[in-house]
Amino acid sequence: MDISSLVFDWDQLGIVFALAGAVLAALMGGIGSAVGVGMTGQAAAGVVTEDPSQFGKVLILQLLPGTQGIYGLLIGFVTLTQIGILGGSADLSLAKGLLYLAACLPMAIVGMVSAKWQARASVSSISLVAKRPDQFGKAMIFPAMVETYAVLALLISILSITSIGGLSV
Amino acid sequence: MAVVEMKRVHIYALKSNRKKILEMLQRRGAVEVDSPKAAGELFSKTDTASARQTFEKNVQLIANAVSVLDAYAPPQKGMLAMLEGRTAISKKQYEQTAQAAPEVVKKASRLAALGKKIGDEEAEVLRLEAQIEALQPWLGLDISMRTKGTGSTAVYIGSFPEEMTAGDLKQRLAQALPQVSAIEAEVVSSQPQQACVFVVCHAKHATEVEGALRGMGFTYPAAPSKKAPAERVEDLKGRIQAAKGEVRKAQDEIRSFAADRESLLFTADYFTMRRDKYQVLGDLWQSPHVFYLTGFVPAKIAPRLQKQLEDEYSAFVELEEPGEGEELPVRLENGFFASAVESVIEGYSLPGKWEVDPSKVMCVFYYVLFGMMLSDAAYGFLISLVCGIVLLKFKNIEDGLRKSMRMFFFCGLSTMFWGVMFGSYFGDAIPVIARTFFGKEITLAPLWFEPLKEPMRLMLFSFLLGIIHLFAGLAMQLYQLCRRKKYADALYDVGFWYMLVGGLIIALVGSSMFQDMMSLSLNIPPVISTVAIVLAGIGAVGIVCTSGRESRGVKRFLKGLYGLYNVSGWLSDILSYSRLLALGLATGVIAQVFNMLGTMAGGGVVGAILFILVFIVGHVLNLLINLLGAYVHTNRLQYVEFFGKFYEGGGQKFEPFAAKTKYFKITEEK
Repeated sequence: MDISSLVFDWDQLGIVFALAGAVLAALMGGIGSAVGVGMTGQAAAGVVTEDPSQFGKVLILQLLPGTQGIYGLLIGFVTLTQIGILGGSADLSLAKGLLYLAACLPMAIVGMVSAKWQARASVSSISLVAKRPDQFGKAMIFPAMVETYAVLALLISILSITSIGGLSV
Repeated sequence: MAVVEMKRVHIYALKSNRKKILEMLQRRGAVEVDSPKAAGELFSKTDTASARQTFEKNVQLIANAVSVLDAYAPPQKGMLAMLEGRTAISKKQYEQTAQAAPEVVKKASRLAALGKKIGDEEAEVLRLEAQIEALQPWLGLDISMRTKGTGSTAVYIGSFPEEMTAGDLKQRLAQALPQVSAIEAEVVSSQPQQACVFVVCHAKHATEVEGALRGMGFTYPAAPSKKAPAERVEDLKGRIQAAKGEVRKAQDEIRSFAADRESLLFTADYFTMRRDKYQVLGDLWQSPHVFYLTGFVPAKIAPRLQKQLEDEYSAFVELEEPGEGEELPVRLENGFFASAVESVIEGYSLPGKWEVDPSKVMCVFYYVLFGMMLSDAAYGFLISLVCGIVLLKFKNIEDGLRKSMRMFFFCGLSTMFWGVMFGSYFGDAIPVIARTFFGKEITLAPLWFEPLKEPMRLMLFSFLLGIIHLFAGLAMQLYQLCRRKKYADALYDVGFWYMLVGGLIIALVGSSMFQDMMSLSLNIPPVISTVAIVLAGIGAVGIVCTSGRESRGVKRFLKGLYGLYNVSGWLSDILSYSRLLALGLATGVIAQVFNMLGTMAGGGVVGAILFILVFIVGHVLNLLINLLGAYVHTNRLQYVEFFGKFYEGGGQKFEPFAAKTKYFKITEEK
């Protein structure tokens, strides 16, 4: 019997970790956005009961915390294509798998937390618009400020993921 | 740059012409009335509050009447009604409606009364139906529910809170009153938790039987009917019919007013206008024969207005340059290309006293940044197509909406441009379709490069665009300061920053570390790098020395250091432009995801059907989400990064005394 077949090949785990990363990005970003859009949706519905003409404005404010879910999906998808699960060969060393996992984490964690806090800013902006509809331009900016950090996390994640392939580990 | 120049106008005229002049000014909508707080002893103000209230009440009444009318005779309105704008009517029609106004108000009160009547009758129907519902268990009883008995019998009609049969009842009565024999009991109806019963006994046992019944939980009905229940129900049904008939009659009568909808709406507008007019009237200073009106008027139309007032209404008109200290109302005026973004500026704040109108510079960046964030040629084409059709088809569209449509039209064009540059047409739809359904390999090469393959390159380009945008903002500040002849401030607040930030950037780009990091190979001669560092140094020293220039001594130095700390603000401002890359990639990648989902079923007919479905739903979704993202983040880059460099706003909008009508607009007769 060949002895080498009894030794566990650690490199088989590479793809597992990489997929875990991709999934986490989509999962946590999605959770954050779902919570966020849910919170803002409640506030928006409250405003529309009083003043239906504000629907367009509060809808925009409601959707603002929804982008983290999309960024998470984006990272997840790019990772899936990079590691070869979607087309191509899925052959990854353990080190690379862990690298992909690490690369996905900024988007996963920052996405989830920032979506929730962006939603809080958005809820406040919705009540601002309810009281002073003419201040919509400013109201939109406060939640957008929070999103900056989701964008920065997305940036780091995407730059890491696209360059891991070229590394020799 | 186009903040419209304003003049102060003084109008003195005879009171006999007051009505005509005010109406003319209102139709022209060119003067913002700004009455002084006090005038000479001779002048006084008229109190118009009660008249205004009457007009306001009429407006409310008509609005109420129209909503009643809309409920029963809904107007024929297309989906795109909001794009059609207000109907134009002539001055003559206006005067006719003015005469008919009392008539219309009568109709409106009739409509409101009918609306109220319908509400009342419908409540009555509900009440009667509840009564019928309550009588349901008693339908089996064929005598009045209020029957107390005859000369020698006592009758008890009521209910127990439990289910029971006649046998149960008789048994329990027999147990409770073994000495009383002549009791007859019937159960009219029985259901869980309620049994309706009829009990009769000899009059001499009345008190004992009642006591026994009460002991078992007997209660009299809450609302016993005088007639037999079945008859009573018939009566009630008749009353319901009558009420419904009343409702129908009222509805028919309401419908008969359908043709009056227009005149109702217009009369509402008429009263709104009169209310506004009386508001102005209450602000005027008047002597026994003369009134005085002052306010602001755009300089361009001022002479013509002056001539018209003097010739036609024998008024005396003075035009004056506004004083230095006066807060002027602001109106923006721009060409075809730049006026589209005026609403974005209004969303922030109109230019303040010393500021210029940023539209012309901003619009270019707005379109470019928006396009980069959405960056898909097909999406851009769709946006431009929709906006273009709306602009062509609905000429009468309201001004604000037209400008927004035009803005998105240009944004769409820019999106198309960047889509072609980055090779994105519905994401990668064309190669995917070719591969899946036709078995061919087509590659649509981007004109420039593919962002997903070279994200670093796009990020650098985003930063470059950001630096240009920020420097343009700084240039606006330079222009504003120079216009006020504050040349020293221009050097301190703009010149030094150009040196510091510009020098640092050149030095950074020249450094080998940066070039390694970005895998660039720019050959910047060391001389230039040295010069850049020296410039940055001069800038830094200058900023430390000057940014605390309002203070003295140590405080000045500390404030200067704090000023230099703002360089970190520049860093975060520039990094902020990385969202161009992030949002651009988001559009492309999500489009790819949908394209891939569509091809899950492979080629063939089934595959094609699935693909078409997924394609339509997916791309509409993606377009909407990313359109929202691009809009919000372009605004953010303009408001926070760009405006942060030079713009505070705070100007008051020019709100002329005009016909602020909701449904119609009056056109001057030619």
